[in-house]
Amino acid sequence: MTALAIDMTGISKAFGPVKALEGADLKVAYGTIHGLVGANGAGKSTIIKVLAGILTPDAGTILIDGRRVAKPTPASVEALGVHFIHQERLLVPTATVAEAVFLNHEIRFGPFLDGRAMARRAEALIERYFDLRLPAGTLVRDLTTAQQKIVQITRALARKAGVLVLDEPTAALVRREVDSLFRVLRRLRDDGIAVVFISHYMQEILDLCDEVTVMRNGTDVGRVDPKEAGIDAIVGMMIDSGVGEMYPRRHHAVGAPVLEVQGLTLKGAFCDVSLTVHAGEVVGLTGLLGSGVKELIECLFGLDRADGGSIRIDGVEVRLDAPNRAVGAGVGMVPEDRRAHGVAIGLSVRENASLASLARYSRNGFVARGRENAAVDGLIRDLSIKTPHRDALVRNLSGGNQQKVALAKWLGCQSRVYVLDEPTVAVDVGAKVEIYALLNRLAAEGAAILFLSSDLLELTGFCDRVLVVYRGGLNGAFDAAAVDGDTLLAAASGTRSETRGIPE
Amino acid sequence: MATNAFRRLDTGRLSTLAVVGAFALLVAFFALAAPSFLTAGNLYNLLVNNVVLLAVVALGMTLVIASGGIDLSVGVSVDMASMVFIMLLAAGYAAPLAVLAGLGAALLVGSLNAALITRLRISPFLATLGVLFIGQSVQRLSTGGGQPIYLVRAEFAPTFDAIARSSLLGVPTPVIVLVLCLAAVYLVLHRTVFGRQVAAIGAKPGVAWYSGIRVPFQLAKVYVGAAFLCGIAGILLSSTVKSYVPMSGNAFLLDAIGATFIGTTISRERRPGVLGTLLGVALLAVVKNGLLLVGWNFYWQQVGIGVLVFLVLAVSFGLHRRD
Amino acid sequence: MTAATPVAASSAADPLPETGTGPNRRKALAALAIRLGALLTFAFIMLYFALTARGFLSAYNAFNVVEQSAILGVLAFGTAVVIVGGGAEVQTGGIDLSIAANAGLCAAVFATLSTAGFNPTVVLLATLGTGLAVGALNAFAVVGLGILPLLATLAVMNVAAGLELTLTENTVVSAASPVLAFLQTGRFLGVSTLAWTLILFSALMILVVHHTAVGPRLYAVGGHPEAARAAGLDVGAYVAGTYLFSGFCAAFASVLLVSRLSASTPGTGELLLSVLAAALLGTVFSRRFVPTMGGTLLSTLFIGFLANGFQLLGVSSYWVAGVQGALILLVVAVTSFARPQEH
Repeated sequence: MTALAIDMTGISKAFGPVKALEGADLKVAYGTIHGLVGANGAGKSTIIKVLAGILTPDAGTILIDGRRVAKPTPASVEALGVHFIHQERLLVPTATVAEAVFLNHEIRFGPFLDGRAMARRAEALIERYFDLRLPAGTLVRDLTTAQQKIVQITRALARKAGVLVLDEPTAALVRREVDSLFRVLRRLRDDGIAVVFISHYMQEILDLCDEVTVMRNGTDVGRVDPKEAGIDAIVGMMIDSGVGEMYPRRHHAVGAPVLEVQGLTLKGAFCDVSLTVHAGEVVGLTGLLGSGVKELIECLFGLDRADGGSIRIDGVEVRLDAPNRAVGAGVGMVPEDRRAHGVAIGLSVRENASLASLARYSRNGFVARGRENAAVDGLIRDLSIKTPHRDALVRNLSGGNQQKVALAKWLGCQSRVYVLDEPTVAVDVGAKVEIYALLNRLAAEGAAILFLSSDLLELTGFCDRVLVVYRGGLNGAFDAAAVDGDTLLAAASGTRSETRGIPE
Repeated sequence: MATNAFRRLDTGRLSTLAVVGAFALLVAFFALAAPSFLTAGNLYNLLVNNVVLLAVVALGMTLVIASGGIDLSVGVSVDMASMVFIMLLAAGYAAPLAVLAGLGAALLVGSLNAALITRLRISPFLATLGVLFIGQSVQRLSTGGGQPIYLVRAEFAPTFDAIARSSLLGVPTPVIVLVLCLAAVYLVLHRTVFGRQVAAIGAKPGVAWYSGIRVPFQLAKVYVGAAFLCGIAGILLSSTVKSYVPMSGNAFLLDAIGATFIGTTISRERRPGVLGTLLGVALLAVVKNGLLLVGWNFYWQQVGIGVLVFLVLAVSFGLHRRD
Repeated sequence: MTAATPVAASSAADPLPETGTGPNRRKALAALAIRLGALLTFAFIMLYFALTARGFLSAYNAFNVVEQSAILGVLAFGTAVVIVGGGAEVQTGGIDLSIAANAGLCAAVFATLSTAGFNPTVVLLATLGTGLAVGALNAFAVVGLGILPLLATLAVMNVAAGLELTLTENTVVSAASPVLAFLQTGRFLGVSTLAWTLILFSALMILVVHHTAVGPRLYAVGGHPEAARAAGLDVGAYVAGTYLFSGFCAAFASVLLVSRLSASTPGTGELLLSVLAAALLGTVFSRRFVPTMGGTLLSTLFIGFLANGFQLLGVSSYWVAGVQGALILLVVAVTSFARPQEH
């Protein structure tokens, strides 16, 4: 019998009083795709960090390729053929594709770099596995998210990986790219490589994995074949008790129009877009990469200046040509890139939460700390942000709680319109439900919510209406309760064309 | 347990303790080693001649560093204010006009920095370096290659004395100016909406922009404000030495950067702040003055300053690194 | 239910899109134009001098400029390497403010020991040792203690400058040594040793940094330390190495410095700003907007030719710094529009 690729037994790891792992096992065979699932805090990332040699376990044994690894270090694990595709794109932005693929394992001619050989080999690998011609001289900075992921995987392939561990590899990819990635992973599996696949998307686990390890509370609670077990059973194992309703319903009536967009145009991105969001309404917005949907919401927050058309908020025409004007007009934005635009992790919860609404807590330009503290404490309570105190740094909060802080910023201003850009990406299930509930409350209080998402279930399950953008124009408006994912997909990819103009 | 208590101490607070403790130790050491150190005369000299000018410039630098940038042209602002002030006085203009014109010259330097950084999007390092070079040329061209202008005639004495040697209720005017500047920058940076926005820009400009803060406009105010403070220092400087010495303001540059960053070590998040900067300035001034009194010659003083600052930083950053 | 499916395109068979799509290609073209723009500015100024300044084009003059640029060039290389390895952030990136003061200290050591009659080899070793010791102190402070480079090297700069003053008592220390004689009067193919030094040193730098594995690794360490660490690189060792190298450059430059003037003179520390300008200006010649060795050489020569051209034109030397400053701003302003925007 051949040895398991990875055989981890009884791994425990505690951080102070917190037991992150307690006797967890992870066993992965060669030639399989192995899913690793669990809610945030279940120990997924801890066990992967132990395997990567980043954390030293308190107890347990690790065998890689049948060999006992007493003290794994990043270098020793890599030497055994285990490669990690981290969730963060750990690539040097100023490097070329070839440099990124071969960093620290350059092909040399004597003491000198053999640039041509590296370029050839990198391009050949990418073409062979991904059917993609990517010039090896392109800078990583200029690549799309999907292409950067490809470069990371190619890096592992160039080193003849025996085990490939992918942490949330599809988070920023569109479906077409996901499919392409899956094809590559299946091919690698057929080549005999062991693939460990960590994902929050159950459908992906079901489609791709041969076997799944489910983690809960620091230990593995089951190893199942996903096709046999089914999604519901896996989710059931992940969560102690049912989450209840994933998408809480709204029980309030929709009011007067709040956001009215007429004929909005941005050259090269979208043309003649009109839409209306009413008070208390959650309108979903979706579209493929390059459809113009991103640029559309950026225009609504003044990040880009529209070339034509009009925007009204509560019936008053507004010119949104800079974010400060949008904020002044009552628009709040939760951006997709949380760390670059959403929250400043080096500032405290208080400083972040009050950043956009300081004028409310100030007198003659001076911040009234008492009022600010009271307001921020209120927000922390309302959003149940898990933080030791209001002056704790956002850096020390979990992803879901950071996202709540990004939202809190706009609650403080009592914005009329919320523009949300993929607000639940990389947020665990529990926090997701809390965010939905919070948005419902905002809607009940009369806010208009525009919700950009690529998650079809979220769009149909949570929104009132869904607008689909295709090639710079609206290609359909659907009643969320009456539409299914396939219809949305068809509209987003242009295979189904709705009559222009939105039914009210 | 002792080690436990030690560990529980916030590292930020520990590092504050280290810097303040080092400062106290130095004061104690110099007080013992040089009997003249703690005399009223020396302390007056220390405060008026060493602390005030550097502190005012360093306050400007603190604003800039808080916004995530740096200003290498502080010396130019100091010099331009000093130059215009002295030249106008020499040409017979009234003192108040000369003072205003001097401050105006500094504001001009600040505006140039602001335009380069916010309009042309040049990095603060390069923008202010370019302005520094240009400022040096302007001074050489205006003074025949860098000739100092001395105003020793008796007619100018009252003006200079009114600025540099007068006092109010026993407090020397330069000290009053310093206190006013300190209070103003403290309030602006730590108590106002503007200060909060500057800190946000310093922490993450993208987040500030996405929060509706007018980043370029606020940054422009920062650079102009810093130059204005340097202008005040320039007027004080030329009134003290009764002259304009071209390119003398550059001497403040590295000390101001040093003082500001030493000051950041007392903050948990290593943010620049007015109190920290003041501590940094005091530390540098005490070391300079103390080493002089202990009898080290000028050359060894510089070594001493470097070594002592290095040690303070080593302790502070070393403690921070324990985590 | 936690199942979720990202929005999909129709079929699974489409390959991923090729690169070189509109925005990317346009961006690359813009960057290229800007890079050429910097070169064109450089060429235009050269042309202007060639047409108006008598003797500017002569080989004699050209080598004279190369010779004059040798010291600045060596120091600029040291600085560029530190910036590459430490990243280019304004406040937290790699920088060595002590390099010029270190060169002054090394020059003082060299001159003092030479005058005291020590064996030239001993003198050279002591000079090199001094430079490396200062570099090691910086490396320890930045890597070992985690002090901000800006701050650590500032303190070390004070130490080095103070030691130089102590050694020379702020006076000119004239020196004579066979090493100096070689540097001063040696010629090969009609080109002086000093000029050869810059030519060979530049060639070596370009070779090592851009054609061996050291280069991509160093850029990775500075550009994205976590990525470098994930690739198995010892980030600390690389960063420490850059400070040691800049110490080496300081020692090397100090020998050239003493040879040019036959003495160590106070005020070497004032070279700092020109060194920084040369190293930072070099970034505009790179499509990645990072310091490169070729770019550093070009900007060093640019600064040298500028001063030389003005001299030949009889323009007052008072103008030189200002025009340099203005040109730096011009070139950087032009390139800043090709950079990816920060916010």
